[in-house]
Amino acid sequence: MKKVLSMFLLILLVGVIAGCSDDSSTSDNGNNTDNNTNTEENNEEKDYSGEVLKVWSFTDELEDPITTFEERNGSTVELTIVPIADYPTKLRPALESGVGAPDVFTGEIAFLKEWTDRGYWENLSADPYNVDEWEDDYVPYVFDLGKDSEGNVRALSWQTTPGGIFYRRSIAEEVLGTDDPAEVGEMMSSWDKMFETGDKLKEAGYRLFPDEGAIRWFSKSEDPQPWVNEDNELVMTEAKLNYFDHAKTLREKDYTAFAPEWSPSWFAAMDGPVAYNGGWDEVDSEASKDNQTEVFSYALPTWGLHSVLKPNVEETNGDWAVTSGPAPYFWGGTWVGIYSGSENKDLAWEFVKMMTHDEEFLTDWALETGDVLSYLPVTDEIKGDFSEPFLDGQNNYEFFLEESKKIEPGIVTKYDQQIDTLLGSKVIDYVDGKVTKEEALEEFYKAVKNAYPEIKTP
Amino acid sequence: MKKLDYKGYYFIAPFFAIFLTFNLYPVLLTFYYTFTHYEGYGEPQFLGLDNYVRILTDSYFLEAFINTWQIWGLNFALQLGIALFLAALFSDLRINIKGLGFFRAIFYLPNLITISSVAILFNIMLDWHYGSVNQFLLKLGIISEPINWLNQPFTAQASVALILTWMWFGYTFIVLMAGVAGISKEYYEAALIDGANRWQTFIYITLPLLKPIMLYIMITSLIGGLQLFDLPMLLTDGLGSPDGSLNTMVLYLYNQAFRYGNYGYAATIAYMLFLITVIFSGITFKSMYREAKVTKKRGNK
Amino acid sequence: MQNKRRPTKTIIYLLLILLAIISSVPFYMMIINATRDTKDIITGFTFVPGSSLIDNYNTMMGYVNIWNGFKNSLIVAVSVTVLSGYFSALTAFGFAVYNFKGKNQLFLFMLLMMMVPGQLGLIGFYELNKTLGLLDTFIPLIVPTIASPFVVFFVRQYLATTLHSSLLEAARMDGASEMKIFHTIAFPIMMPAVATMSIFTFIGSWNNYILPLVILFSPEKYTLPVLMGFLKGSQVAQNLGSMYLGIAISVVPIMIAFLFFSKYIITSIGAGSVKG
Repeated sequence: MKKVLSMFLLILLVGVIAGCSDDSSTSDNGNNTDNNTNTEENNEEKDYSGEVLKVWSFTDELEDPITTFEERNGSTVELTIVPIADYPTKLRPALESGVGAPDVFTGEIAFLKEWTDRGYWENLSADPYNVDEWEDDYVPYVFDLGKDSEGNVRALSWQTTPGGIFYRRSIAEEVLGTDDPAEVGEMMSSWDKMFETGDKLKEAGYRLFPDEGAIRWFSKSEDPQPWVNEDNELVMTEAKLNYFDHAKTLREKDYTAFAPEWSPSWFAAMDGPVAYNGGWDEVDSEASKDNQTEVFSYALPTWGLHSVLKPNVEETNGDWAVTSGPAPYFWGGTWVGIYSGSENKDLAWEFVKMMTHDEEFLTDWALETGDVLSYLPVTDEIKGDFSEPFLDGQNNYEFFLEESKKIEPGIVTKYDQQIDTLLGSKVIDYVDGKVTKEEALEEFYKAVKNAYPEIKTP
Repeated sequence: MKKLDYKGYYFIAPFFAIFLTFNLYPVLLTFYYTFTHYEGYGEPQFLGLDNYVRILTDSYFLEAFINTWQIWGLNFALQLGIALFLAALFSDLRINIKGLGFFRAIFYLPNLITISSVAILFNIMLDWHYGSVNQFLLKLGIISEPINWLNQPFTAQASVALILTWMWFGYTFIVLMAGVAGISKEYYEAALIDGANRWQTFIYITLPLLKPIMLYIMITSLIGGLQLFDLPMLLTDGLGSPDGSLNTMVLYLYNQAFRYGNYGYAATIAYMLFLITVIFSGITFKSMYREAKVTKKRGNK
Repeated sequence: MQNKRRPTKTIIYLLLILLAIISSVPFYMMIINATRDTKDIITGFTFVPGSSLIDNYNTMMGYVNIWNGFKNSLIVAVSVTVLSGYFSALTAFGFAVYNFKGKNQLFLFMLLMMMVPGQLGLIGFYELNKTLGLLDTFIPLIVPTIASPFVVFFVRQYLATTLHSSLLEAARMDGASEMKIFHTIAFPIMMPAVATMSIFTFIGSWNNYILPLVILFSPEKYTLPVLMGFLKGSQVAQNLGSMYLGIAISVVPIMIAFLFFSKYIITSIGAGSVKG
């Protein structure tokens, strides 16, 4: 025991010495950095050729815009891609210390609200940016999400990512008697109607959704309120409580196919029959026909069409359509802003401006990728021209734009991502029959309290 | 007692110079955070001992503590058992198994792949409907319906323990063999002449002489095992599902720090874990040391 | 006796081969998948290689220069292995042979420090390297491994069974300096232990991901795992074959190196036991 104690004392002693020397050298270094900044600012010229802009993101979707940007003004852009799971790990030390940080970086919805309040992004409401003037040009909820808690805009987004229900036309035709998106949408427009549709599908040997998690977005946005209010209280709406029951109904009535999101069976079910509750048999063998089922629909947002459905579908290409569910929702999205410590803010601003407010570029971008833009002057111009072969010619662009305008702004908090995850896992426990609804709720409150001690739970 | 010889300092000086430069500052900074509320950015707020009070009553931490021991215990028993068995086989002069270099390399293969690839691989293999593990067991008739491995606490923990065994038995085997290689062949030859059987040779020659290496294996495996986290994180939802059975101490620490932004509390978990490791390492040292004494006495007889 | 031993031996070999198969199946799958295209990979596993190896390679090289990453990883891993091997032997020798004040406390201190979970040290480590001006260099990845407590611990434990003080005494009588004794007598004895640990050190460094990810900014300095992360975030992630090929390129060479190295250990083990 004595030995351990003396060791601790030694550790502390050395630590104090090390700490002192570190402090002094830190401040030295800080001064140097400041000097550098000044000289570089003095040397700055309006012509950007030869200048280097550092951009960090978590996908490579900026690659084409960067090429355009480089061609336009002769600058060089260094794009660093970090997988989403490691993105905060990489960003945090660099942004906190200012060394090695990028000039421009993107943020995904999961971190957005946390980052807008940390001062990592430049205040775009201030001079010389004054983006508040642009507010009317954007889909309201998208513009609103880029604001910090004081209402200053920190990041902008070129896209909007509302969701819908993608369904199989052939199954709709066979079971529901129509494949028209408006009529099918009507059959999905409330919980009761949705379950009724589920019942019809089940009778015919189909499943409404791949899994119970598919309905979480509708439960979340049915009664749009923030998860945590100004008094730091957890807001548990009736709709969210009903999520437990609705999910249980789906399971008990057999409206789902036991294909959890992102699992192999979830992907497999997009392109044809999947083995139901016993998938170890060969999928195409005749003997197991009885055990098979097809999934009718998936709740997915705009990007779900391009990066989820299209790459995983072959047989059912052209057999899809998109319509609305019981409530409008959005899922995901990428925002972009200028690092507040950047030494290259002019060029960074040029880049952000091009990505979010340049009619020529955005028109090309939208026509090329099918990305649904949040910048209305362009979307108003082009939205009539879309016809998606994958959806049998349906104009999904117009549909998603309409959906995006129905989304209530101002309800996303920095807690959302994690609290949604916690709720989802407790709902699944309840659906699996491991706990009662009361127990699940209690565990949920306890988990929220544990994660965020500052939140008051019911 | 040998006389003191200051020359030893020269030999260990480079180590400690580098060690103190690079390791101490982060470690002490973390220790400072245990007394604060810190979200990973800005200035930490001083809290005193609040975090320590919290951790002593935290049922999630207790759960994580128990889970970690269950998973590590099962894994360690299997891993050491297999490695010792293999070491006994390869050190046995009588059967004279060929191909040590080959097998050693092959057994070590699972450890070459990064943990994230391992997790992806087993995620696919353990899939309820499409996984090859269930397909295989069904075909052999060992089970009559597919098992949802990662959805039941016991099977989930057992899966993690078995995957860890698969990853690490080769490593333990290599380390053991390095120790065996240090044992002079004369001992075995003498045992052979004395007519000692396989079991006796292993128990009375190999094991006692491997004691220092065994101590190394015990301690490092304990440290590594108590810090288990990437596999449980990657195999299910990262929150410790099912039923919190894969919530290990470092996974809990990781989630508190990087998911929920409670850096100060996460640092406290780190230091609790440190304390736990120190205590159990101490117990291991003590018991190994006592056993060593006993063996020595026996040897003198 | 003879009759009894034969079947035992066969059973033992069968057992070893079974274990070998279990250990190498994922490897085989990875290499096979590197030669197939995405559609094939999704439909299931076969034991027959596909024909898309060149396509996969071109797709991957269109995004990242994997050989440059290979070079960087090699520079880092080799330096780490050499430094950590040499200095750990030095330190272990110091602890095992000499008797000095505070020796046990220092050893205990070293052991204690390896028990602190490292996950939270990252920010402190970053700040430290910022202060030292070492960010975006290989130095933070290489130099700290001079202090590798696990390796020191292992080599010291190994010395406890193998090093006899009589050997050292004899050398001292001949008038050899302490450093010379270390280099000519002690180091060869420690070699099997150092070589064994070197494998783990090398592979640990080779697979190290988070540290280079955070420390390095310039793409031309990225190590293999960081480049693989880069691939994961790009369109290539859709092309599973290319992903597998990337993983294979990063793993297969060390596997081969390991097989060679493994042979070398066996020879040095032979040498060690002759001396012992």
